[in-house]
Amino acid sequence: MFRYAVQIIFRRKLRTFLTSLGIMIAVMLMTFILFGMSDLKNAVTSEFSSRFSPQDLYVSGRDMFMFGGMNTAPSKQDDVKEEIILNTQLREELEKIDGVISTNPIFTVSNVEVFLEGDDVPYPMNFVGSADLPGTHHIYNGFFGSDDKLDNGEIFVSNFVVSFFETSKKEIIGKKILVKSSNSSTFLSVASKSMIDKQYEFTVAGVVESGNDAFFVNTKEAMNMLVDLGGFTDENEYLEKVGYDQILLITEEGKTSDIEKYIVDELKLSVISTETLLGFLDTLTSGLTIALVIFGSISALVASIGIINTMVMSIYEQTKEIGIIKAMGASNSQVLIIFLIQSGIIGFIGGALGLGITFLGMKLADPFIVSILSKQGFTSIDKFFNFQLLNAIYITLGSILIGIIAGLYPARKASKIDPIEALRQN
Amino acid sequence: MSEYIKIQNLCREYRPSKKVLVAALRNLAFSVKKGEMISLVGSSGSGKSTFLNILGGLDWNYSGDIYIEGKNIRNYDQNYYRRFIVGTIFQQFHLIPSLTVEENILLPTRFQKNISKQKLNERLEYILNKTGLSDRRKHYPNELSGGQAQRVAIARAIIDSPKIILADEPTGNLDSKTGNMIINLLRSLNMQEGMTTIIVTHDSKIASQTDRTVTLVDGKNV
Repeated sequence: MFRYAVQIIFRRKLRTFLTSLGIMIAVMLMTFILFGMSDLKNAVTSEFSSRFSPQDLYVSGRDMFMFGGMNTAPSKQDDVKEEIILNTQLREELEKIDGVISTNPIFTVSNVEVFLEGDDVPYPMNFVGSADLPGTHHIYNGFFGSDDKLDNGEIFVSNFVVSFFETSKKEIIGKKILVKSSNSSTFLSVASKSMIDKQYEFTVAGVVESGNDAFFVNTKEAMNMLVDLGGFTDENEYLEKVGYDQILLITEEGKTSDIEKYIVDELKLSVISTETLLGFLDTLTSGLTIALVIFGSISALVASIGIINTMVMSIYEQTKEIGIIKAMGASNSQVLIIFLIQSGIIGFIGGALGLGITFLGMKLADPFIVSILSKQGFTSIDKFFNFQLLNAIYITLGSILIGIIAGLYPARKASKIDPIEALRQN
Repeated sequence: MSEYIKIQNLCREYRPSKKVLVAALRNLAFSVKKGEMISLVGSSGSGKSTFLNILGGLDWNYSGDIYIEGKNIRNYDQNYYRRFIVGTIFQQFHLIPSLTVEENILLPTRFQKNISKQKLNERLEYILNKTGLSDRRKHYPNELSGGQAQRVAIARAIIDSPKIILADEPTGNLDSKTGNMIINLLRSLNMQEGMTTIIVTHDSKIASQTDRTVTLVDGKNV
């Protein structure tokens, strides 16, 4: 019976192929969702986990979006939520929390222009971060330089910065970086007129392996710049009026979430942990997955209609044949099964083609995706798409099932054909 | 057994519309002996095809009774009945164009389970020899002459060794010489296999070659 059904379906090869194209597209989408999206999530998760310690908490007086001292543009929420100044008292309070190993201030010197010695073009990003490497950050996969301690007058840059200035890691070491105050009045309030025409000079002492824009000076240097640019009398006044941008808390293992909860609930400060960031990424990938699943489902629906159409046409063509096989002893249920096998085969062909093409596409695209991702800093990824046999089996079974479901109506119609009427057809 | 097939008060009515009632068969009654080869003759509209559809197990909306070996055919599973009790040969051959001769002959066996492949092959070889189709087994219906196509239809009808062969105008689409060959084939199968054979025909020459003729007029035998 199976062989007979196969013979029927391959009588109209082109039509079978064209009908199965709908399923193929749906399967390609689904395969991409199942293989690509989960891999994207895994890649991002493993990358973050390799860079950030789960015991790190970034505390800020306002809502934060990104790590490394970079804050997002002010949002509506900022107006509603009162900003808390992360001052020395608050830092002391954070230090006292049970399980906190250390508190490390992070500053961002914004509205500055950064130049490389002998180069007139400023770097496109106008801020310098502060970090007391090593130990405070975990976001680097490597370091190039004599030592990774930031002394006064020294600056670390990322290799992304190195490639921007079209130089090499070796050549940039020892060169000067000029940090100039931005003279653009749009950024300056009346109180900040003291910012005009300030200039600071640093020597490049190291290059951190990061795909992001990054300049780092030590905390003391950053503090000095901020006091000077803002026209404050000293560090204490700055900390009292502006406060730390962020404080990185290194916590004891097992106490991180309790500390995070305490800071958010009791101290009303914002906290970003590896966990919250991964949660955010999870939401993002879930949203993308849902969107793709909807597209996949729509194409599966369209494909099903295609199968129904083909099968109904096939009934009209095969009416006489159905009469013959019924006269030869085929039961209604056997005719039903023959038609379901046919629609199932269309589903299977579409599924297999879709899987095959996606698999091939993945193989070909993988090196490119990996190279793009590693340029973006995802250096721990050596393979993006992972072919999962179990998912491939599910997809194939799913496409056969779609074919069978789409074939139900035509198959029922075929099984009810009266053999006498059918045999009268010419 | 003197009455192998016994037809009693067989009636079949059609209602082409609400107000029209057509009585295709009216109290048809006759019997056929085991191994007998009879012909059923009658003009168009006499009810021959209606009767053949009923006896062939394609139409079950009749009144009256049909007994085969003393068993009412209503007591059979309809598909089993069409497969193993009767084998039908049609005027238009009704072969499936995309299947080879061999595949067409084996078509009825595709719908049954637990069939021994070896026995089936032996049976196929025997039938191919009997019908002279051994060298045509891989041919498709469009590569066959009318006589060959009808032989394939006969081979297909007897592959499951049914008890009764029903032939609906088996020579209607053939020239007289080929028609005679077909009747001779049916006769020889009737003798060797002992299958009771009912041939519906217009042709009196063919009718004369059978053991007995039953004539239908307006749905009744006369």
